[in-house]
Amino acid sequence: MSKYTLTLLIALLAPGLSWAASGPKLTIPSFAGLAQKASESVTITLDPAMLGMAARFLDSNDPQDAATKDVLKGLQGIYVRSYTFDRDSAYSQADIDAVRSQLSAPGWNRLVETRSRKSHADVDIYIMVDHDRAVGLAIIASEPRQFTIVNIVGAIDLDKLHRLEGQFGVPKLDIDASKAAKPAQK
Amino acid sequence: MSDDIESRMRAALRPVAPREEFAQKLLAQTIVDPPARSKPRDFTAAKLRPLAWWLTASLAASLVLAVGVHRHLEQQRMQQSGLEARREVLKALRVTSQKLNLAYEAVKSQSEKSGV
Repeated sequence: MSKYTLTLLIALLAPGLSWAASGPKLTIPSFAGLAQKASESVTITLDPAMLGMAARFLDSNDPQDAATKDVLKGLQGIYVRSYTFDRDSAYSQADIDAVRSQLSAPGWNRLVETRSRKSHADVDIYIMVDHDRAVGLAIIASEPRQFTIVNIVGAIDLDKLHRLEGQFGVPKLDIDASKAAKPAQK
Repeated sequence: MSDDIESRMRAALRPVAPREEFAQKLLAQTIVDPPARSKPRDFTAAKLRPLAWWLTASLAASLVLAVGVHRHLEQQRMQQSGLEARREVLKALRVTSQKLNLAYEAVKSQSEKSGV
């Protein structure tokens, strides 16, 4: 298990998952209260137009840019909210539940749920699949001083994501891409 | 003495009837003069024509310059937006990878503990 990665896990489970009625784009609350309390906040909203614009400014001759451009091709949106606080427990469970409740809708499947007693970091990874293709990805990460939500909408090509390994801090996961083709039921 | 001066001045400044040919000369001059009166019209036509041309040319040049500047600013704005979007994409991927990494480390640690 340790040799396999989250990406492989996603790839193996993805084909057996059902299509959702709710859609892969989450309704992310404004979190205005959190933003005020946070010492650092990241709010990224990239719709198809912005992704297209960004793709035009990625240099195809640069390996990292080229890989990123390739990943962006099928995407329809990337939404990130991340809040960092100066003290522990500055946000409430209700803040997380506002998003988590949407992920209990049909179509979303939780692939990974990690609870670390050591770092007190909880990470949940959800995926939405349509016709053997991942069309939505959601990550909810709650740490004592940080709360992050990532929602990627669109055709997420896992092979292309695999190619991003070793870049942007994505761990080098030693994935055998051919194994990712093997379907598995949830 | 002063009376003498006064009377001499009066004599010098007395009204004198014009000579007969004066009226004729004046009339003749008036007839000859009309083209002189039309001089301002010539000035308007001849002098304003190049001025109008320069004004039109200046306006056209200003228009071209304004369009050029607008297009340049628009391109600059587009470039700034594009670079900003690129930065946002890279930042979003970085945050995503950090969280994937966090999950990966937790899964790895759990797997190692369970001896898988």
